[in-house]
Amino acid sequence: MQLFVEQVLNGVANGVVYGSVALALVLIFRTTGVLNFAQGEMALFATFISWKLTQQGLPVVGAIAISMAIAFVSGAIIERVLIRPVETGRSPLNVVIVTLGMFLALNSLVQLIFGTDPQFMPSAFPKGGIKLFESGGRTATLQKGTLGLVLVLIAECIVLWAILNHTRLGLKLRAVAANPDSARLHGIKAGSMLMLGWAMSAAIGALAGSMVAAQRTGFDSNLMQTVLIYALAAAALGGFDSLWGAVICGIIVGVADALTIQYVDPLNGIEVVMPLAFILVVLMVMPHGLFGKRTVERV
Amino acid sequence: MLKGKKFRIAGSLLVLALVGAACSSRDDNNASTDNGGGSGDSGGASESSIDTANCTADPTAEIEGNEIKLVSSFPQSGATAAFSQIAKGWKSYIQMINDEGGVEIDGKTYTITTTDKDDQYNPQNTVANIEELVGEDGSNAFAAFSVVGTANNLAIRQQLGDLCVPNLFAATGSPAWGDPTYPWTLGSTLSPYSLEGKAFADLLGDEKPDAKIAVLVQDDDFGKAYEEGLKKAIEGTDLEIVKTEKYATGATEVSAQITSLAASGADAFFDGATLLACPDALTKAAAAGWTPITWVSATCTSKTLMGVAGANANNAYSYTNLKDPLNPDWDDDPAMMEYREKVGQYQPDADVNNGIVAYGWTQGALLVEALKAAEKPTRLAVMESIHNFSASDVGLLLPGVTVKTGPDDPYLGEAFNVMKYEFTAPDARNHFVLVGDINDVEGQTADFTPESLISSG
Amino acid sequence: MTTDQTGAAVEPMLGVAPLELEDAPATGDQTLWPQIPRPVFIARVIIGTVMAAAALYAPFYFDPVYNRLLSQAIYLAIAAMGLNLLTGFNGQVSIGHGFFYGVGAFTSAILMVDHGWTFEATIPIALLLNLVIGLLVGLPALRVRGLYLALVTLGLAVLFPQLASKYVDGVGGVALLRPPARDFSSLIEGLDNDQWAYFLSLFIMVVLFLLAWNLVRGRIGRSMIAVRDQEIAATTVGVNLAGTKVATFAISAAYAGVAGSLSVMVDHVAAATNPIFYFQRSVEFLVAMTIGGAATIMGPAVGALALVLLRRNTEDLIEGKEILAPALYGAALIAIVFVLPEGLVGGVRRFLAWLGRRSSAKGRPPTHPIPDDSQ
Repeated sequence: MQLFVEQVLNGVANGVVYGSVALALVLIFRTTGVLNFAQGEMALFATFISWKLTQQGLPVVGAIAISMAIAFVSGAIIERVLIRPVETGRSPLNVVIVTLGMFLALNSLVQLIFGTDPQFMPSAFPKGGIKLFESGGRTATLQKGTLGLVLVLIAECIVLWAILNHTRLGLKLRAVAANPDSARLHGIKAGSMLMLGWAMSAAIGALAGSMVAAQRTGFDSNLMQTVLIYALAAAALGGFDSLWGAVICGIIVGVADALTIQYVDPLNGIEVVMPLAFILVVLMVMPHGLFGKRTVERV
Repeated sequence: MLKGKKFRIAGSLLVLALVGAACSSRDDNNASTDNGGGSGDSGGASESSIDTANCTADPTAEIEGNEIKLVSSFPQSGATAAFSQIAKGWKSYIQMINDEGGVEIDGKTYTITTTDKDDQYNPQNTVANIEELVGEDGSNAFAAFSVVGTANNLAIRQQLGDLCVPNLFAATGSPAWGDPTYPWTLGSTLSPYSLEGKAFADLLGDEKPDAKIAVLVQDDDFGKAYEEGLKKAIEGTDLEIVKTEKYATGATEVSAQITSLAASGADAFFDGATLLACPDALTKAAAAGWTPITWVSATCTSKTLMGVAGANANNAYSYTNLKDPLNPDWDDDPAMMEYREKVGQYQPDADVNNGIVAYGWTQGALLVEALKAAEKPTRLAVMESIHNFSASDVGLLLPGVTVKTGPDDPYLGEAFNVMKYEFTAPDARNHFVLVGDINDVEGQTADFTPESLISSG
Repeated sequence: MTTDQTGAAVEPMLGVAPLELEDAPATGDQTLWPQIPRPVFIARVIIGTVMAAAALYAPFYFDPVYNRLLSQAIYLAIAAMGLNLLTGFNGQVSIGHGFFYGVGAFTSAILMVDHGWTFEATIPIALLLNLVIGLLVGLPALRVRGLYLALVTLGLAVLFPQLASKYVDGVGGVALLRPPARDFSSLIEGLDNDQWAYFLSLFIMVVLFLLAWNLVRGRIGRSMIAVRDQEIAATTVGVNLAGTKVATFAISAAYAGVAGSLSVMVDHVAAATNPIFYFQRSVEFLVAMTIGGAATIMGPAVGALALVLLRRNTEDLIEGKEILAPALYGAALIAIVFVLPEGLVGGVRRFLAWLGRRSSAKGRPPTHPIPDDSQ
């Protein structure tokens, strides 16, 4: 039992990491309809910026805030300059190619600018853990960093949910995502809304990246690559529709992974099978993910 | 604007230019300098431990001109770009030697030129790169040198073996380079991975002879070498492996595995993880309140990897046969000073404090020694020199370490000194401190390594 | 993007837009492939002949290093064509075809190394095996649509190296198999090994491309396209939805498998040691298909060639800054997509159509309004 709880806690610690990246993915999808493969690398770039700022002496929270602001602006610029010209074209695959090109370019630039050495990212949260219970001479502790990340995620979800569902701005964002042409007819500047969507996701991604880097022992240019597949799995599981879904499914994926490592020995080393098999099974039964909305297709 | 006709035409032309850049024709390459291939003076040694009956290129042909062409293939971009630092070490040494006049073999002086290509750690690319750099008939280069990656070297050793082109100082500690069917491929001073198990077992024999060991390894050949080596090393002792956990290659965090290992009640821990998974294991172990006697992989002993583990790396053991640039004990050492000076001069963007640059430098030094010791400027002579090699105090080798090979012992890195990490403060110059004496297991690697890891069958 | 009744977004199909029909005459002709104006037809024939001649002469002109590059482009083209059938013509997006490619490669390698088969005999096995696996993967794929399918297939590509690492007993315990070079010797006197590899690959590619062309023109092809464009409407006119989708998946997997098999001959090694390699390959298939021109027949081949050349030319473009090679490559891809949104083939077609209109501008009224593409 003790071991089980400890592994669940491990899983949650990783799960919030996956959930925070999944959140950025779902956000950009909901506001612009694009699956941004470069999301992880954009977050990576911002993370290195905030790391560099902490190296210069800034407090962690300040560094993260600045990197989020930079990411916000950059996200908008990227949408306008790189994505808009291909978005309106005939093939949605072109946007995918652009995001893949960005993926390669950003990763490479990070290596060039910041080097290939692993670095240490200080955490915004206090060290140490909260003892949950003891047994057999060992304690199950919930790390304060993990708890902090959970709280940050909940806050993000609430804020985003409020913006999207209860403000005019959110309404405009959703309208443009649903049907850009109709939205234009209503006087909404579709272009600006798309830029805003990218900007917000970039900022959320920057926050996620910095938190993820802090939660790991060290990070380098490969930080997001191992996380991305799990984050995509979490987003898919959640249905790509729901912000809460992304976070909750991130935790589910993390816990499933940890439990697989502990209890399923034949899969030792290939635990990534577990979340993938999980998604497959769930999607067969619920094709819109655990939290997605059922959709009606007009013929 | 961006879609205007003129822009599109200009853009198309640019794209076409990039796509259709120059390519060489079939006849161009026949004019390349002959570097050991083709016919030549064949006064080779009569007693050779290397069978040259099936060589498709003549290994006794002398180098024409006075250039020794070395080629290499290693990651210079992508996820493993950090390995490109190794080359900065040996390039510095070679450039230094060239500036000092070059290498003398059999009365004639040669300069060494190096060419390399990026393979992004993919063996498929390594094969293509080496075929291109060495040439299909071996006439484009003298030897391959310091190719990075076990799989990458495995992929090229047959073709180089058939051509009888030396593949020297493979930058991996795989025991596979001791396979007698492939004498043309040789490892480097990176000790064979299986020896780490032996070193740890010896250490525990002194400190805690009845220890229960928990093992963390990567789920591939690298991990297998560790696992099997350790198993073999504890045979006949009171040591026991109580739990082994694997992690996926490339993973950067191992919290679940550590929790599982910590719960096993082990009091010794073999952290065979590499790259970021290694310090993560140390951190998670500390967070779980687990304080076993810990051994970290020799691939993990760099300043950056131990650095990110910080205080959690304190008291971790490992071993080395090189002087560590981070260790203040060597600051006044002439070899270390020369290394810092020359690398700073020839490869200024290299990080001299990074252990793999020091490793690269030392391989360069050993290569030059091997070349000098060759009887004739031919591939066969150089191979024989390396297969009967003995060197100490070369490059940044620890005093007392002799790099030795013999007809039955192709392993170079069989002497090591155990060391222990000392963490004093976050901004201090934390480093490994040598513990005990040089442990020389010359010629014994095969004894400590299961046959299946050495010969491929 | 379509919406449902509540206004929420339906996950977009990451497939391509309907096939652009060229200047279709307003006749009662029911064919999918309408009449092409004479000048354009002539231009196409000329281009085709030149390309074929170049393809046949190339291996005698270029050195083995470059021939290997061309052979790589060929097997990449085969895999891209497979993906084209699935994604371009049938609308099912997969970023996991590296999995089938890997299965094909290891099938050939294992049969050669462990069981002593001749290479050429392993190719049909790779094809059949992947056909079956493609079928098995295509069945659950029926329930998983659009974006989700892309992600599940991504999972497959990521999984492959790990599976291989665990279950393949290669050289020195590594997931790597290297059949000896002599096993790939030329079967035709007078052809060097690299030339033989090129021609064998080229031959197989031509056969597979012709099969694909035939498939797409026929009834099955029309079913595939109908399913892509309007799934529900297609079922109402009697298209066997499940059958079409699963069959397409299986066929595309088979193509990728053949590509993998050929890669063992061209690259001389089958290795799964780099965890992201097969994902990278999957992406390359997708990129080759897209920049070449999705839902066209020559698109995958042109795209594959462009991709291989681009990769090589950006490798050491900037001396001393090799670390930037992926950035240059990525930038080039973005540039191509910007400049030629319909891919290279689409761009060429557009150019030819423009030529065709120019030459027939006098005398003949256009059959329908000339599209304005200045925006």
